[in-house]
Amino acid sequence: MNLNTSILQYIEDVKSGSFTVEEFVTETLQRIKDVDEKVHAYISLNDSAINDSKLIDKKITSGENVGKCYGFPISIKDNICITGTKTTCASKILENFVAPYTATVVNRLNDEDVVITGKTNLDEFAMGLTTEFSAYGPTKNPWNLNYVPGGSSGGSAASVAANECLASLGSDTGGSVRNPASFCSVVGLKPTYGLISRYGLISYANSIEQIGPMTKTVKDSAFLLNVISGQDVNDDTTINNNNPDYLQNIENGIEGKKIGIIKEMTTSDGLSSEVSNATKEVIHDFESLGASCDEVSLPTIPYTVAAYYTITSTEAGSNLARYDNIRYGYEMESEGYEYNSYISKSRTKFGPEVTRRIILGGFVPSAGHAGKYFLKALKVKSKLISEINSSFEKFDYLIAPTAPVQPFQFGEKIDDPVTLMLLDYNTVTANLTGKPAISIPYRVSNGLPIGMQIMANTLEEKSLFQAAYALETKTKLPEVPL
Amino acid sequence: MVDEEEIIRVAKLMKVDLEDHVEHVGRVKKMLEYFDILDQIDLSSEEITSQEKSLLDLRKDEFIPHDKLLIESLKNFREHYVRAPKMN
Amino acid sequence: MTKIGLEIHCQLTKLESKLFCSCKANYREFKPNHNICPVCMGLPGSLPRLNQKAVESATSIALALNCTTPEKIAFFRKNYFYPDLPKNFQITQLNVYGDMSVGGEGYVDVEGKKIKITRIQLEEDPGRLIYEGTSERTKTTLVDYNRAGTPLVEIVTDPDFENPRQVRVFLNILSDLLENLGVAEPGLEGAMRADGNVSIEDGNKVEIKNIGSFHDLEKALHFELTRQQSLSERDIEIVMETRHWDDRRKITISSRSKEEDQDYRYFLENDIPWVKINQETRDNLKKNMPESIGSKRERYVEKYDIAPQVADILSSDKYYSELFESAHDESNAKDVANLITTDLLSFIDTKEKKQTSKVTSQHLSDLVNAVNSKILTRNSSKIALQEIVKSGKSVNDLLEEMDIGQVSNSSEIENIISKIFEEEKQAVIDAKERPETVNFLVGKVMQKTKGKADPVKTLELIKSKLEQ
Repeated sequence: MNLNTSILQYIEDVKSGSFTVEEFVTETLQRIKDVDEKVHAYISLNDSAINDSKLIDKKITSGENVGKCYGFPISIKDNICITGTKTTCASKILENFVAPYTATVVNRLNDEDVVITGKTNLDEFAMGLTTEFSAYGPTKNPWNLNYVPGGSSGGSAASVAANECLASLGSDTGGSVRNPASFCSVVGLKPTYGLISRYGLISYANSIEQIGPMTKTVKDSAFLLNVISGQDVNDDTTINNNNPDYLQNIENGIEGKKIGIIKEMTTSDGLSSEVSNATKEVIHDFESLGASCDEVSLPTIPYTVAAYYTITSTEAGSNLARYDNIRYGYEMESEGYEYNSYISKSRTKFGPEVTRRIILGGFVPSAGHAGKYFLKALKVKSKLISEINSSFEKFDYLIAPTAPVQPFQFGEKIDDPVTLMLLDYNTVTANLTGKPAISIPYRVSNGLPIGMQIMANTLEEKSLFQAAYALETKTKLPEVPL
Repeated sequence: MVDEEEIIRVAKLMKVDLEDHVEHVGRVKKMLEYFDILDQIDLSSEEITSQEKSLLDLRKDEFIPHDKLLIESLKNFREHYVRAPKMN
Repeated sequence: MTKIGLEIHCQLTKLESKLFCSCKANYREFKPNHNICPVCMGLPGSLPRLNQKAVESATSIALALNCTTPEKIAFFRKNYFYPDLPKNFQITQLNVYGDMSVGGEGYVDVEGKKIKITRIQLEEDPGRLIYEGTSERTKTTLVDYNRAGTPLVEIVTDPDFENPRQVRVFLNILSDLLENLGVAEPGLEGAMRADGNVSIEDGNKVEIKNIGSFHDLEKALHFELTRQQSLSERDIEIVMETRHWDDRRKITISSRSKEEDQDYRYFLENDIPWVKINQETRDNLKKNMPESIGSKRERYVEKYDIAPQVADILSSDKYYSELFESAHDESNAKDVANLITTDLLSFIDTKEKKQTSKVTSQHLSDLVNAVNSKILTRNSSKIALQEIVKSGKSVNDLLEEMDIGQVSNSSEIENIISKIFEEEKQAVIDAKERPETVNFLVGKVMQKTKGKADPVKTLELIKSKLEQ
């Protein structure tokens, strides 16, 4: 039994009787036991995973209707609520928060008979790019344990890359699915804003974030999107996508398609030399697949990181205000405290990065400063949307490397906030504009992964998968050394 | 230039205690200074937009009681009231 | 010149569910924290879902108050920390990016003066705080979130009021109007609250918050006016500030130190898309609104020839106007109207009595017809009505049970008149000398017959007897 398999292959194997769900899940849990002490992808494990897999096996043998997922093991980022499980957002302030309800995406997965292995590690409240800001310790990159896995969905990416599950659900606010996907050599999708329900996703920046599937292959990503996407009555921001089959015609190829290489994201001085070389190679690959490549400029891009952090810190400051430890949180007696001092004391449980973002979020929209920062950021967003819409009139896809650098060592970038922020340079555009974007593994150079990002127009995920799949056929990658 | 005192005042407003986090003031300042880049772009013709929805697509007005007794899964309650610290 | 403005909050208790979730809008029947769900509790990961009918009701209110209504409405977050606020922000409306709250400028006619409405907005009510314990040091704050998320319409007026009396009249007009629209129940405890702002001699404006009832509002306004006037007399500047009403000591106290630091960091509530309300929808809402009080009043006066004061009372009260509409027929509208406003009103003078009253339009119609066909006297019908309010028994049943049938038999009446003439010899002499005092004797006969004697006949017979 090979744990380094895809969802689709797994389903075929279970259907054909090569192994049972219980066997595969047991093997997966053993793998977690073997490697997770080193990788630390998981914050908590699902105790009833074996039982759940037994139930699915029963369904299969008794001829009952089995859900599409056939019990494949999936991990869930720990900022997504599952009834009865601790949902910590990798923060001390939610140490004891047991979710009393389940996120829509998890319900949809469960309805299709998935097996959840556990909740994965993240930067606290999804704010970060390396998972170094988790209050429960960082996750290591399975490709080299001294290197960061990316963030904020570092645990999700690492769990898939290390074969501790076949897929994961992460969340992407400024690149938090795509960035770790690039760093860990897995496929990470940020869908069109509103395509996947956010009900049950603990909010960080609700105007731009989306849950995104993280998988080994592009087809697996399409498969998962089929299960979890679509309008939800519990989320007024979800849109009607008419429920297409994302797997259908995924092999159509990109003959004749027009690809725009985003100038501002591919300047050689913004990228490391390996990433720069890989970018030149990917252009050749796309051309050999029959697409035409041309440079396109989006002049607003240099302002997007500042706009992104201004908007997200404002929203975070507001979304995290509810954590006052009064209705839920962790154990702290309120006896003897006055209201304001209790709240301030309880909120010292926020980690340093979250604390900083909250302060920023109090500053930039405040009465005296909103004009200079927050309102400008909103207008940058509007301007960017016009620019990218114009580009999509000429191009079918826009590409760039997902991250400007390869994974780096722990502690290397964490001290300079601006350097850290700029890791998001190539990814925040998709969030600010609401367009779908996918990162697929492209190269492993000196043992460290490089991912390529493809963007498509609003609700064009089917087309996006076609391009991603086509590129995937051209890439040959080594197996993870762990 | 951003005033350090102001950052401390904002921290108070946002109910995050800066006492153990004084080093953060420096980092926050750095980030704010980076945001100055927003002054360099011409945004005069931009309008703020949003997702839109028709009135007819909104939730229908129905009373549907929540299926569980939610209060019992939260903390800090006595006889069904949530206990908060005393107000000034 | 005195200027008073108001900020009125009205709960939309006639809705089934809260503004952003499906918990019950009217929370009053529930045990504490038994009317909550992940959304109104603001649990991590929960999202608001806007109530369609709440938007329609709020738009109807805006239309009824002659306000402009926008093509799109938006919601904003008002960020501050308080234990009754589960998310530590309130979802409300603002007119920052153009006019996007449910209602823009409008007006209400108050005794010939147009009181201008500044705007109308839709927002959520917070939970309720209860303080436990007697000592300041041991007081625990108990929170009940049943009310959190209840739909509120906030109506803001220009500072157009000249005195507290005008405010009172306005609030009565507004309550009647909202009740008549069928969107609110202003009589319910806590369903309608108002804060105010006061300035005198074009000076600084002082806001007064934390006012519990309309009764308190008048007191607070009077107090504040007096306070400002006395400051002005001593040439002391009136500071522009927010004060809160201390209900125990019946004074306003400066809350300036708290308000100073307050920065609500308003920004768009991105979990709720902008809602498009097209002209057709607004036209339909206007068309389907219940008949306005003013229109009813006009109709009662012109069509049924009802006295203006009677029409006023009848039209402004939904309970009575509904009874009236179904009780009267072509011929007896005036009589039904009078029965309601003279007699029924005295028996049903509180909201509790309105709720427990067993009177139906059938009862009223039967009573009026009985009096008109001389089966009952006016007096007896009043007695019967009182019983009907309590028991709901039919008029026919009561005629038998209570022995209230009119006595029209002349000889019976004459017997009683004779008895009275014996008992009230002085009154008889008075009546002979001053005929206008004859009503005393009529009254005595009515008393003796428990109101059953035909009053017209009685008067006739007494007069003729006096002449003998």
